[in-house]
Amino acid sequence: MSIRPSRRLALAALAAGALVLSACSAGSLGTSDEEGTTTVSYLVDNEASTVKTAEALVSAFNAKNSSIQVKIETRPQGGEGDNIVKTRLATGDMADVFGYNSGSLFQALKPEQNLTPLDDQPYVGDLDPAFKVTVTAGGKLYGAPNGAAMGGGILYNKAVYTKLGLQVPKTWADFMANNAKIKAAGVAPVVQAYQDTWTSQVIVLADYHNVAADQPDFAEKFTANQAKFATTPAALRSFQRLQDVHDAKYLNKDFASAKLEQGLKLLADGKGAHFPMLTFTVATLAANSPDKIDDIGFFALPGDDAAKNGLTVWEPGGLYVPKSTTGAKLDAARQFITFVVSKEGCDIMAGASTPSGPFVVKGCDLPDTVPAAIKDMQPYFDSKATSPALEFLSPVKGPTLEQITVEVGSGIRKAADGAALYDQDVKKQAQQLGLSGW
Amino acid sequence: MTTATVRRPRKNHLLSLVAITMSAVVFLVPFAFIVLTALKDRQDASRLEFSWPRNVQFVQNLVDVVQARDYMLIIAFINSTILTVCSVTLMVILAAMVAFVLQRRRSRWTPLINFLVLSGLIVPPAVVPTIWVLQGIGLFRTMTGLIFVEVAFGLAFSILLFRAFIATIPRELDEAAIIDGAGPVRLFFRVIFPLLRSVAITVIVVQSVAVFNDFTNPLYFLPGSDNATVQLTLYNFQSQYGTQYNLLFMNILLITIPPLIMFLFFNRRIVAGMTAGAVKG
Repeated sequence: MSIRPSRRLALAALAAGALVLSACSAGSLGTSDEEGTTTVSYLVDNEASTVKTAEALVSAFNAKNSSIQVKIETRPQGGEGDNIVKTRLATGDMADVFGYNSGSLFQALKPEQNLTPLDDQPYVGDLDPAFKVTVTAGGKLYGAPNGAAMGGGILYNKAVYTKLGLQVPKTWADFMANNAKIKAAGVAPVVQAYQDTWTSQVIVLADYHNVAADQPDFAEKFTANQAKFATTPAALRSFQRLQDVHDAKYLNKDFASAKLEQGLKLLADGKGAHFPMLTFTVATLAANSPDKIDDIGFFALPGDDAAKNGLTVWEPGGLYVPKSTTGAKLDAARQFITFVVSKEGCDIMAGASTPSGPFVVKGCDLPDTVPAAIKDMQPYFDSKATSPALEFLSPVKGPTLEQITVEVGSGIRKAADGAALYDQDVKKQAQQLGLSGW
Repeated sequence: MTTATVRRPRKNHLLSLVAITMSAVVFLVPFAFIVLTALKDRQDASRLEFSWPRNVQFVQNLVDVVQARDYMLIIAFINSTILTVCSVTLMVILAAMVAFVLQRRRSRWTPLINFLVLSGLIVPPAVVPTIWVLQGIGLFRTMTGLIFVEVAFGLAFSILLFRAFIATIPRELDEAAIIDGAGPVRLFFRVIFPLLRSVAITVIVVQSVAVFNDFTNPLYFLPGSDNATVQLTLYNFQSQYGTQYNLLFMNILLITIPPLIMFLFFNRRIVAGMTAGAVKG
């Protein structure tokens, strides 16, 4: 092999070129910052409907405010997303406004250390008190609602119900009786999609209204290590219900390997009758099966007592401002948040994607065009038959609940065993948080 | 198939047939699934079935993917190209130099340096301290910073590869060059480095794939939509409550093309490089 000078030159040129190239920053095809404007970065998760909503809000806000430019950044969801939020907060590199969960995950951000309080903002009085609790730490309010509340319960196919002459069940016994009839008609009574493991938790988590109806102080005692899932009959029943639908062979055949989208499709096509789900997925359902969305209804997870029937509610996530944002950027970030929680902001959000439930801001109403499944939530709110999910009342939520519920829901582990295992899982997390009594 | 046969050629034919079929099933079926899903509309794709699309909408999906998030994919391709080319170039040159010195000049420091190189393979990267360091030297959120991070993570492995190969190059070559009046730099670049071509190509292929496919380092060390690399664009279509599978698979298809082309291009070079290296020994 000969050493040709041309090759050596090329190599040297490549090396030199590399160093020159690496000196310039990453490329951008977008418009560059203009003079005299304040740029505010806004970090949202990459959920399609979240991004769409954020884009609609930002373009309306930017059009109204010539001196402020809001720019959207996205991040993944789940564990990777948690890491990036915590990493960026820890290194002082957080976006000026960011969306993140309320409740126990919000507490894990160490709000007093990392976030700017929003107590003094004009909209605080209009917020639903139940939401405010979930974004308050050390007596100060740190978050504004980002979107609408959502319900956890059962999405059901109304066409199947009409065909078989069924009634919306108010008790678990009625629900199982319906399932028996649905199975006899050759339709899978309960759809589960355990490949997306988080979906397996819904029956247990959405049952919390029934737990609270039986044991109003469960959340408090649970946080203080005085009540356990395995030893509280009402709480153990949540796990038992998950086991029951599997033991009665009411699940779709591919429950272990199905993904969420496949489960929703089964429900929409009438091949499955019930899907224990969060109403956030109604937007996905509307996008994936636009012709079938009117067939889909929603009811709260039935309990033992028809008179106490009610809905478990997930509060919306919050919009937060990190401590690292100061000066003109802080003012601009506050203005943007005020816009998001205004009536105009709510209308834009409701128009951009299917809302997952009612808004928690006074004066923001749902438009008439929302899917039937979302409208079905309103009666529970009107009759005040709602409870926040346990994760908004107690900072204790074990990280492996979804793995345990997959086991219980697939018949690998018995309900009592699963509940006991979850109690152990929770213990580690409570000790990490430094709660008293653990 | 029975193993005890006398006619060996026939058995090999059967075996190779089985092997070819197996690899076709293992590699081509998933690829066909990607292509088919990339052609579907959103409703059809959400079933995740191995079926012919109801209506083929290749162009629509392609346009949607390219236009998503303000043409993020194009920016991402530019970024990924800069990142891969720069970091792999640096890695090859630096690793070859380090390996040459380590192999040729033994001193009492050699074991320590060897240990440091090995620990580069062993010690796991920590994100937050690395960001502090980058912030301290003003390289955080810059492409340069990310390139250095990638080089740092890939260097140890590359050094090991080069060192093993340089051991096979006879010292007499160095001595001949020195007698002819070559200085150290000239010796390395004109005599040694060209001989390293085959192992250099191995390093280039392995590290390019690693850097191009890297997800976590760009995610943490180069945040911001303008700074996305191609792997990060997958997250435009993938989320907890609703994944757009048709667009996701179209995106996968698009970002699989560059490594594929590179492999086709380098495939010939790998073979050529290996045989050339073997003859020179």
